[in-house]
Formats: sequence, C-alpha cells, structure tokens
Amino acid sequence: MIMEYTENHFSLVLAAVIISLLLWVPVGVLITRNEKLASMVLNIANTIFCIPSLSLFAVMVTIPALGLGRRSALVALVLYSMMPLGRNVYQGVKVVDKSVIEAARGMGMNSWRILWEIQLPLATPVIFAGFRIAVVMTTGIAAIATYIGERNLGRLIAEGLTRFNIEMIVSGALLIALIAIALDTVLGIIEKQIVPKGLKVRRS
Amino acid sequence: MDWMRVKQALLERAPEALGVHIVMVLVTISIAIAISVPLGVLLTRPKYKNLGVVVLNILNLLQTIPGLAIIALTMPFLGLGLKPTIFALTVQGLLPIARNTIAGLYGVSPDVKEAALGMGMSHKKILYEVELPLAMPIILAGVRTATVYVVSVGTLAAYIGGGGLGDLIVTGLAMFWPEFLIVGAGLGAILAISLDRLLAYVEYRITPPGLGT
Repeated sequence: MIMEYTENHFSLVLAAVIISLLLWVPVGVLITRNEKLASMVLNIANTIFCIPSLSLFAVMVTIPALGLGRRSALVALVLYSMMPLGRNVYQGVKVVDKSVIEAARGMGMNSWRILWEIQLPLATPVIFAGFRIAVVMTTGIAAIATYIGERNLGRLIAEGLTRFNIEMIVSGALLIALIAIALDTVLGIIEKQIVPKGLKVRRS
Repeated sequence: MDWMRVKQALLERAPEALGVHIVMVLVTISIAIAISVPLGVLLTRPKYKNLGVVVLNILNLLQTIPGLAIIALTMPFLGLGLKPTIFALTVQGLLPIARNTIAGLYGVSPDVKEAALGMGMSHKKILYEVELPLAMPIILAGVRTATVYVVSVGTLAAYIGGGGLGDLIVTGLAMFWPEFLIVGAGLGAILAISLDRLLAYVEYRITPPGLGT
C-alpha cells in the first residue's frame, strides 16, 4: 500500500514538474521581451500562488473537463509552479549583463543563439533556485490532492486522521518530507554540474 | 448551479466561516510574530552567531514537512477544535518569519553598524534604530509569506474541526456540491489575495527611503 502511494505521489510530482518546466520556462523567456506582458503574467502568477491549495483543487474539480482525480491535481500543481519558476526564469534572463549580450552580438550571434548560448546558461543558477523551490513545494501540495481522489501519500495522512492513527500520519509526513529533501538534494547536485564555472552563486 | 444552494452557502454558512478564518489567521500571525521576531533577533546577536546558522538550516528542513502533516500531527496530542488548529498554524507561520528576520538582520551591512557604534550608540540603540528598521522590509516580506501560507493551510483546519472556510469546501467535496466548493474556495482566495496586497502596501510604506528598489 505504501509502495503504491509513494509511487503515485512520485509520478504526480514528476509529471507536474516536467509540464511546469516545459510550460513556464518558455513563458519566462518570452516575457523578458515585453515589459508590459511580464508584469501582467507575473501578477497573475502571484495571485494564483495566493489561492489556498485546497481551494484551487476544489475549483479545478468543478470544471467539467477536469473532474475528480489526476487531471485536476496536475493542472493545479502546474499553476502553482508558475510563480517560483516563471518569475525566476524571467529574472535570471533579465539580469544577464547587457555588455555580455552586446559582445555576443558583436561576434555575430543572432538572438536565438544569444538566448541558448549566453542568456540561458548564465541564468541557470537563478532558474535552478526557482526550480528547486517549485519541486519542494509541489511535493508538499501534492499530498492535499488526496482529497480530490488522488491515491498518494496524502492518503496516509488523511486516513490516519480519520482513524486516529498516529503512526500512519507520521509515516506519511516523513515520507513526503523525505521525498522533498531527496529531490532537493539531487537537484542541488545536478545544479553543481550544470552551472557554468565561475558563476557559482553562494546560496544563503 | 442550484441557486438555493448558492444562497445557503453564501448567506448561511459563509459569514461565520469567513469570520472564524480571519480570527484564526490574525491570532496565528500575531503569535508567530511575537515568537519568531525576538527569536530571530536573539539568534543574530554575536553571542549566538553559530547557533543562528544551525537554526536557519533546521527551519529550512522543517519547511519541507507538508502543512497537511503538521495539522494532522497536532490532532492526536491536542484534540479537535480551534485551539489545536491555531497551534499547528503557528508552527507553520514561525518558519518564514524567523527565517526572514535572521536573513534581514544578517543583511544589514557591518559598515553601517560600525558607523552607528562610532557615533556612540549603544548596542540596544543600534538594534532598535539601525538594524531593525533596515531589516524591516525583509521581515515584513516574511510576514506576508507566512500570512498567505496560513490562510492556505487554514482551509485544511476543517479536517480537525477548526472550522473556517475549509468547512464549506469539505462539505462541497463530500456532497459534491460545486456551489459550496466555489463559494468556499473563492472566499479563501479573495481573503489570501487581499491580505497579500494589504501587506505589500504596508511593506512599501515602511521601507525607509533610499532602500526602495
């Protein structure tokens, strides 16, 4: 049972994180080109982030196309990631030194290559910081999706709650925390490999 | 949409639920500030400098425990109702505020502190007139994060009998009444967003001139 719950939890988080990456990184890059659009998108992201998680899940359930279950959970989790991920991609790309970009242009790079070879690599520390926050957050919020029919580790906590079973609650909580810490650690290691040398930002 | 049910949710259930939720959040945040700001100040004093880093790491780790788990874990020890809810939410609210207090106080440039010392200020005066005002925007940002978080986790309080807007959502989910879901969720979202905006405004006003970005 615990295996099944862990697996479900993990796959939900993984799917949400992958979709968020595919969606919000391009959006974050795109809005660096247009200041007005950027403030609009970031405001929306901020607002969504404020919505209580149980509320967002509940609202998703009432949309007929989503209904109870995984699709609602996924949409809600992806929407939550918009804030940490989109904002950090935007800021990361935005703060790349103008003179570096000009130098690249002077070397004859077009904007596409500048984006891929200069801006994104230089923005990786900031993007990764947002990505890690998004992953840890998604792992925690995914537990609440149990109330809309997702059979994951949140179910352990919810069932422990109705049965007055402390062991179930504790094991659910610990497993979720462990997954979050493990994912964060793995991402930290990947970050070390990916971030260009000489760009190592000291994390506070 | 059943208008009778919308009316029932909005007029009969919502006012009390919203009131309980607001009281819950205000009490929690006040307690959390009262505990974590002094704690943060204490941990940044030179005497406890090493402890500060340790506590910061522990707080970071604690943050990964999901809100649902903390709510659920208080129940076996403190029972059901509003009091255990407030306790659980306070634990949640402590972390962002304490973390930001420590980060904000660490962020005050040592040059400024030295200048204040050179002007003959006592350590206490430096804390109240230099360090805390300079760290205030960051501390308030922590309060803001904590508030939004507490409103959010507060909706889960319904599962341990704490009442609040979660009650409406739980009823809605159990009976599958979308009207209850939308009213409960909508009010929760509005409450969180308006508190966030309010605190953003306070943060903007309280930032000392010359520190704004």
